[in-house]
Amino acid sequence: MNKALSIKEPYPPGDFAIWIVIYIELVTFGLMFIGYAFSRRADVALFNNSQLQLNQTAGFIDTLILITSSYFIVKAVNSVKNARGAKIQSANNLASKWLLAAILLGLMFLVNKLLEFSAIFSQGISLSTNTFFMFYLLLTMFHFMHVALGTVILFNIYQRTRTSGYSADDSRGIETGGVYWHLVDLLWIILFPLVYIIR
Amino acid sequence: MKRSVEGVWAVLIILTIFAYLLGELKLVNTLLVGILLITTFIKGHLVIDYFMGLKNVQLRYSIIPTLWLSIVIFSISLAYYLPITIK
Repeated sequence: MNKALSIKEPYPPGDFAIWIVIYIELVTFGLMFIGYAFSRRADVALFNNSQLQLNQTAGFIDTLILITSSYFIVKAVNSVKNARGAKIQSANNLASKWLLAAILLGLMFLVNKLLEFSAIFSQGISLSTNTFFMFYLLLTMFHFMHVALGTVILFNIYQRTRTSGYSADDSRGIETGGVYWHLVDLLWIILFPLVYIIR
Repeated sequence: MKRSVEGVWAVLIILTIFAYLLGELKLVNTLLVGILLITTFIKGHLVIDYFMGLKNVQLRYSIIPTLWLSIVIFSISLAYYLPITIK
């Protein structure tokens, strides 16, 4: 095997501080996921019956949206992280298009989720309805806030690409925003089957 | 093996459609929940490796999200499969 191919990068992409945030978020959501799974054991029938009131198709669309937006972010980051000299402007232009597409998907997720919350609340359901809905609302609303923050971060990165702000020598910012967005995607990838599908 | 980002995206979409169909067609049973959890682990691992870019990063950094994913999926499996004792 070519030894050069097996050399690993010394640090993960993006600012080191974002990885501290990511590890904290992983632990927080991880505890809530495990808390949900073990609380379900106390009243499986209640969890299964309550789950029937959720819109699985909306959850499915949310998953497709986040996975695809994550893919767009990878394309945006790849566009600029090797851009040097005369290629910087065209690379940033391309990245801005990928980012704009990802932002639009982020907004679609938020609208879709608001419609879902509206349908749930119109049935008179709240945090105190039962344990299932307490977890459902806590997990999905907390995640919703992360998507909203992620969309704002992506918009800031998008604005910087409009002024050709990223290049091979300065791609830390776009990588940092990117890994945060992938975290949001990773969390939803577990949340969707756990809360919407498994019964 | 080198995977393209497009290939990773396609696998993620296919596994998501699989999960959705299980739920929508009311096919969720004890065996399929196990398969669903395995596919969820695969999806999470693909995001960590190829989207977050930890595939080519030193193990001390890449291992943390992978360990987290393993612990969460294993705990969910335990909660689902451990027998429930009724008092």
